Amino acid sequence: MSTVPDRTMSAALPHHVGATSSMPALFVIFAALVAFVAGFAYLDISWPRVLGGLSELGRIASLMLPPTYGTTARLMGWLHALLETLAIAFLGTLLAAVIAAPLGFLAARNVVPVWIFRFSLRRLLDTFRGVDTLIWALVWINVVGLGPFAGVLAIMTSDIGAFGKLFSEAIEAADGRPGEGVTATGGTELHRVRFGLLPQVLPILVSQILYYFESNTRSATIIGIVGAGGIGLHLAEQIRTLEWQHVSFIVLMILVTVAIIDFFSARVRFAVIGANPTAEANA
Amino acid sequence: MLRLDSVTKAFGATTAVDKVSFDIPRGQFLGIIGRSGAGKSTLLRMINRLTTPTSGRIYSDDRDVTALNGAPLRDWRQANAMIFQQFNLVGRLDVLTNVLLGRLNHTSSVRSIARLWSKEDRVIAFSALEQLDIASLAAQRAETLSGGQQQRVAIARALVQQPSLILADEPIASLDPRNTRIVMDALQRINKQLGITIICNLHSLDTARAYSDRLIGMAQGRVVFDGAPSTLDDATVRSLYGLEANEVVDTAGTAMPQRRHGMLPTPVAA
Repeated sequence: MSTVPDRTMSAALPHHVGATSSMPALFVIFAALVAFVAGFAYLDISWPRVLGGLSELGRIASLMLPPTYGTTARLMGWLHALLETLAIAFLGTLLAAVIAAPLGFLAARNVVPVWIFRFSLRRLLDTFRGVDTLIWALVWINVVGLGPFAGVLAIMTSDIGAFGKLFSEAIEAADGRPGEGVTATGGTELHRVRFGLLPQVLPILVSQILYYFESNTRSATIIGIVGAGGIGLHLAEQIRTLEWQHVSFIVLMILVTVAIIDFFSARVRFAVIGANPTAEANA
Repeated sequence: MLRLDSVTKAFGATTAVDKVSFDIPRGQFLGIIGRSGAGKSTLLRMINRLTTPTSGRIYSDDRDVTALNGAPLRDWRQANAMIFQQFNLVGRLDVLTNVLLGRLNHTSSVRSIARLWSKEDRVIAFSALEQLDIASLAAQRAETLSGGQQQRVAIARALVQQPSLILADEPIASLDPRNTRIVMDALQRINKQLGITIICNLHSLDTARAYSDRLIGMAQGRVVFDGAPSTLDDATVRSLYGLEANEVVDTAGTAMPQRRHGMLPTPVAA
């Protein structure tokens, strides 16, 4: 093997291959650095305060240990609230999935070829998705009042947008050949979607829904802070009253819950996607 | 009888099929040959109306089928079963359900969407699988099958449509020589015993010669040969295939088929 570059070879290469100038990359890095420094200056972040804050963070962390829950009655209250958070996440995700599933099909190019219809629906879904769950929570609290129902609606609203987009993209990525086979037998458009698309995309949709359920358990905690029910309210209260040991205990409770959901949702996902042919023979 | 009258399909500036006209009598095994891109697939897809011709007419027994829509179009497609190079099965569904998809146009929408197939349909589908020697695979997921097995499932699906015509678009292009024979023999049996007309796009000339009653050669969207396989001479082959000519006549394992005439066990086609 010769280390001398083969001249005939390099002559055959188009000029731009491998010879790309690094100038644009350098410029981007430089611009990012400028923006970084400017950002600090604009937000008036002083380094002494950052350093001082670090030591304060250490102090709070040490105050969190060991995590405790105080009285059993309080623990029961938290468990109840945690269950409420789970219920909010579950109902919100499920409602969003049920509403978004038909919308996802309608927003897919290989189901609805009419450009303008698809475009309008997609922008509508973008609007739902573009507003964060927390904002939706504040909106719904004003509509239906404080409590878990507002939380369910908040998660549902923002996830209809997210699911609609994810579902429609999964559907568009599906292989068109099975559907063509169905059409060629004399099947209707509905048949094509039912047999040509649905069996292909259903495992993907289920897996996305499970991911969102897991992530929504965390979101449901946050929206609890603004009064939409669940464990978040207790967490905010403990932070306000500087009960750091309680805060760390609640955080641990949430972590364990999310880990458990993660474990089970992974098993369900494998059951749906996996090699077991009987698992989705009924799809 | 199927009659094509000056059928043309243009995609933008390119003309895939250019004023093709010919008649196909009932019961014929017609092989369409030509290199890839000659317009063979587009022609078949226009007959089944997966693609609509840009101009020209297609008649079935003097009925114009070029402009059908809705239910009459679905009836027409059902009567023109299509077999694809890539099988076009629903991989995640079991084999029997895939075959039952051939019964969609015979079943009410509500029942078919819910997969509530009638006992009669299940029997028809199962016996079609039996005819193709793959009944034992009925409960398996289609995507777990080999290419040859999948193509036989596709043929079973075509049979349960109870078609008068089968359009096979390069049915053996993805198969090995052994499966090529199994699939082509199955098509031949269907043609000879059930009297179903077959139009089969084939790249391999030897296979086309061995199985077809009549050959149509296409080049650049036009029919350049139409006649009995025995009348196809070397000069025509060269004009059809150009530089590929040696490759298409040198395919091992597609030797003369056995002309089998055993009875089929069940009356799948009406």
